[in-house]
Amino acid sequence: MKTAVFWGCCILTNQLGYEMSVREVFPKLDIELVDLHESVCCGDPIKSMNDFAANYLGARVIALANQTGLHDLFVPCNRCHFTISEAKNTIRQNQKAARRIKELLKEEGLEYNPDIKMWHTIDLLHDHVGLEKIRKTIKKPLEGLRMASHVGCQIIRYSDLGRVDDAENPHKLDELIRALGAETVDYAEKLDCCGSALTYSHPDSALSLAGSKLKALQTIKIDSLIVSCPNCGLMFDARQKDTATIIGVKLNIPVLYYTQLLGVALDIDEKRLGLHLNQSPIENLLAKISA
Amino acid sequence: MTKIGVYVCHCGLNIAGTVDVEKVTEYAQNLPNVTAARHYTYMCSEPGQRMIQDDIKAHKLDRIVIATCSPRMHEETFRRAVAEAGLNPYLVEIVNLREHVSWVHTHEPEKATEKAKDLVRMGVARACLLEPLEKRTVKVEKSVLVVGGGIAGIQTSLDLANACFKVYLVEKSPSIGGRMAQLDKTFPTLDCSACILTPKMVDVAKHPNITLLTNAEVTDVKGFVGNYEVSILQKPRYVDAKKCVGCELCTKVCPVKIPDKFNENLTQKRAVYIYSVHAVPKIAAIDPTHCLRLKTKKSSVCGKCQEACEAKAIAFEQQPETIQVKVGGVVIAVGSEVFDASRMAELGYGRFRNVISNIEFERMSDASGPTSGKIVSPSNGKTPRSIAFVQCVGSRDKRFHIYCCRVGCMVTLKQAILAREKILEDVKIYICYIDLRAFGKGYDEFYSRARDMDIDFIAGIPSEIYCSQNESLYFDVYDRGTNKLLEIHADLVVLATGLVPNSDLERISSLFHASRSADGFMLEAHPKLRPLESAVAGIFLAGACQGPKDIPDTVAQASGAAAKAIDMLSSGKIELEPLKAVVDKDLCSGCRICESICPFAAIEMKTDTGKDKEKSRAEVIEAVCQGCGLCSSACPTGAIKIQQFSNPQVLFQVQAAFEKAKPKGGK
Amino acid sequence: MSLVDLMSMATPNFGSREKILAKLCGREIVNCFQCIKCTSGCTALKLLELKPHEIMKLVNLGFVDELASSEIIWTCATCLKCVQRCPQKASPYHVIVALRNLAVEREAKVPEGYLKAVSQILETGLAEACRKIVTRKMEAVDREYLRLPEVSKPKESFQAVFMKAMEEKP
Repeated sequence: MKTAVFWGCCILTNQLGYEMSVREVFPKLDIELVDLHESVCCGDPIKSMNDFAANYLGARVIALANQTGLHDLFVPCNRCHFTISEAKNTIRQNQKAARRIKELLKEEGLEYNPDIKMWHTIDLLHDHVGLEKIRKTIKKPLEGLRMASHVGCQIIRYSDLGRVDDAENPHKLDELIRALGAETVDYAEKLDCCGSALTYSHPDSALSLAGSKLKALQTIKIDSLIVSCPNCGLMFDARQKDTATIIGVKLNIPVLYYTQLLGVALDIDEKRLGLHLNQSPIENLLAKISA
Repeated sequence: MTKIGVYVCHCGLNIAGTVDVEKVTEYAQNLPNVTAARHYTYMCSEPGQRMIQDDIKAHKLDRIVIATCSPRMHEETFRRAVAEAGLNPYLVEIVNLREHVSWVHTHEPEKATEKAKDLVRMGVARACLLEPLEKRTVKVEKSVLVVGGGIAGIQTSLDLANACFKVYLVEKSPSIGGRMAQLDKTFPTLDCSACILTPKMVDVAKHPNITLLTNAEVTDVKGFVGNYEVSILQKPRYVDAKKCVGCELCTKVCPVKIPDKFNENLTQKRAVYIYSVHAVPKIAAIDPTHCLRLKTKKSSVCGKCQEACEAKAIAFEQQPETIQVKVGGVVIAVGSEVFDASRMAELGYGRFRNVISNIEFERMSDASGPTSGKIVSPSNGKTPRSIAFVQCVGSRDKRFHIYCCRVGCMVTLKQAILAREKILEDVKIYICYIDLRAFGKGYDEFYSRARDMDIDFIAGIPSEIYCSQNESLYFDVYDRGTNKLLEIHADLVVLATGLVPNSDLERISSLFHASRSADGFMLEAHPKLRPLESAVAGIFLAGACQGPKDIPDTVAQASGAAAKAIDMLSSGKIELEPLKAVVDKDLCSGCRICESICPFAAIEMKTDTGKDKEKSRAEVIEAVCQGCGLCSSACPTGAIKIQQFSNPQVLFQVQAAFEKAKPKGGK
Repeated sequence: MSLVDLMSMATPNFGSREKILAKLCGREIVNCFQCIKCTSGCTALKLLELKPHEIMKLVNLGFVDELASSEIIWTCATCLKCVQRCPQKASPYHVIVALRNLAVEREAKVPEGYLKAVSQILETGLAEACRKIVTRKMEAVDREYLRLPEVSKPKESFQAVFMKAMEEKP
């Protein structure tokens, strides 16, 4: 499959490990990625300022994808996926807004295309590629490892908008992890939010929320927490030390992007997967896998 | 020449407030064939009716047009008034100036008056072509089919049987009793449910006028009001009902265990079983999908029950039997089901063992239930130290069922009180609610009693329920009263799962051609004035199948439905409205389009032998025909028409609609 | 006015309320019957005292102006649990977003983080600036070093059209 890809802001500016692992892993699963001509915000932070402008930015991403001539758009970030989904929904339901958005796009020679299908990492791998193909393609099954998944909020809620997994019992990311040979664990706080959205206004509270979830995870014996959104990855991995400071507890939880874990199972070199960029303590995990 | 009297009603200010009734009357007076035109404040009142009657006599009027409210209100009244004056009641035409004019065009009085004039002109045109019709009388059977053997079906059957009607009570499970038999105590009196129900169940079984058919289902319905022909499938029990004494020796030796439906699958029973402790009839039945002998159909397999049975009642060779009965009316009393709380995944039902539904709690609380009446946490069988009730599960929820289930609050209050009375140790009891509804007689007193029993009422419901390592539960809930976010730990969570339409209703409603309302329950003929019957003549409704309700309301409705059926059938005959389809045999080509299109199966093809040709022609079963008109519009030769709605009659009215000039013709 | 809040002496402002209602398509705020489920499960309640049910009730009664200039509307973590679980398909999240938009329109208190994001987008197209990345071993790296493609900039036309979109009033 050949698909356009929209990375958003977070991945391009600081969650490079996610981008690297996706670029390494997808070709092995017969997915060719085509970057958009521009890197521009999906509109997520703008939503709180002017939701029309946010919908315009979301529609603009679709219009940029339209320029590539491809039918599919891969969006690896939960928040971008949600923002663009709401933009599409607004255009569908609100004639006035749709007209105005299309006018603005026209000023830049851009055209909105409602038929472009949007994918996230979870449904692209689970529904399109399929668990069977993943099982067959990997080289190093991750037997004996216990993983906890954090699928995030804006990719499973709210169901009426059409999301990639069930809102109360999300199972696809777990199944993707199990397809790699590892075990998954269930935990009460599974649906808790990473808090990243609060960074704009209440940064300490954001860290506190992430810290609480990590603290709860620490009571379960797991080898790693697996995420699939750069905002969640930023909170749990890059800022784990800060969250620990805020909640006053020592935290020691390895955090990986699913595509990084998949890359490991595909026996791809750690550096190429950006694993050296992960800030959480993943050494023991990597050692256990190579053993 | 036709002599038409036109009567314009003010309807107080309902019509006259918007429409200039005097102008309309003046206009009517000048229409062709109109002899008299009057207006009056309340045409339906005695003086109003007398006005019409006097005019009929004085001016020898032969058609009446009444411009008033919807015919659904007073058409019958006016027909009777006109009949009293010696005119055929079907020569009355009602023009609706209220629902069709004044109530919808309240802010445009001039245009409304013009529209009123147009409608009156159309009514006058139609009146010219109305024909006198006669009601037909048919004989009816003084017997009633009651579908469903819960408290509604039981009550209705007893009332009918005591009124000397023959009753066929059909129940699909092996015993009657329904939902009420599963209950421990009933609110607001805390009467023991079985104690007040079983005497009635026994009465039903013993009543000479009631034929009790359990393990049976209605499979086909033919005929019409007063003369229904019903096919009932008597499913085999594989036990000879005449020989079985209900000793239960068979159940003790059966090797196969199956989920016990009566106990909400909390326990298991054997493949040969007696349905419940208070089963009526107390006759065993064998589940053919699990019994080894019946599944394999090999006579060498098992058969332990047969060996053990001293009465030689086991009958593996039993076959299903179809019974045909003729009845005059039907009471649908099939009850409702309980919402499957696993659909509301955030509450953990189905995932966490200690989250249960209110019907499961009820079975636990019942002394004859799976725990002999002890309230325990299912995971460890121990007495819970705290119990939390969560209201409105599956009800008042646009994601599932919009309606309020009506009984949830009272059931929870009852169960909370029972928990407090049964559990001798110190147990904390919490009820998390949105609104607490205690609306009936004695209900708010019951709520008062609960508040006096150390039960904590939390004004708010939780978003998600979590499970801890030892399988006890915890959740956050914000309380509107104290404005505090509370964390509650409970060893047992009981969800007030709502009542939902019986999954069999789709089949039942199509069998009897009785519609369901938007919420899925059976649709009553009128929500306020006719709540005991469906829109189909002869089909009555009783109990929760028409809408969720508690026992007092169910019993009231059941007795009411019986009274309605008695009312309809007691004289041995009924009159049929003549506004039905009628076939002109000479024009009918036998193409059968009408037969296939009729939604009520009211048309049959009759073969006519004559003139050496055997020709099949359509014939309308008058009593079943609802006069909907589908056949009339589909008929390619114009052979079938609806009385008073023939092509000429309708087209003449249409013509008048577009002519401000005089309509042509008349009689 | 027939209704007065005796604590603040505020009266309902239905004009402001209309502005909020106009932004909610299909998520009917009027249906809210205060079941409290949203607040019971609110991610931001414990730390920041956000009570979505209270916001719904205040807006329903017309007490919008105070909310638009408050800080509480900026405490929502946008986890969307309230939208998912509301039994009346009302949506505190969308109401909060509408209140935020109103606050921006009236130039009330807006957290700096958002204002920074706007200027960043105008400058580079992205909401964040490229950061200095370090490995676990504290070595500094960047996209070029990691052989990732350069981040392409938006067209010249983007800035002006984006500003137009930002100026758009409902």
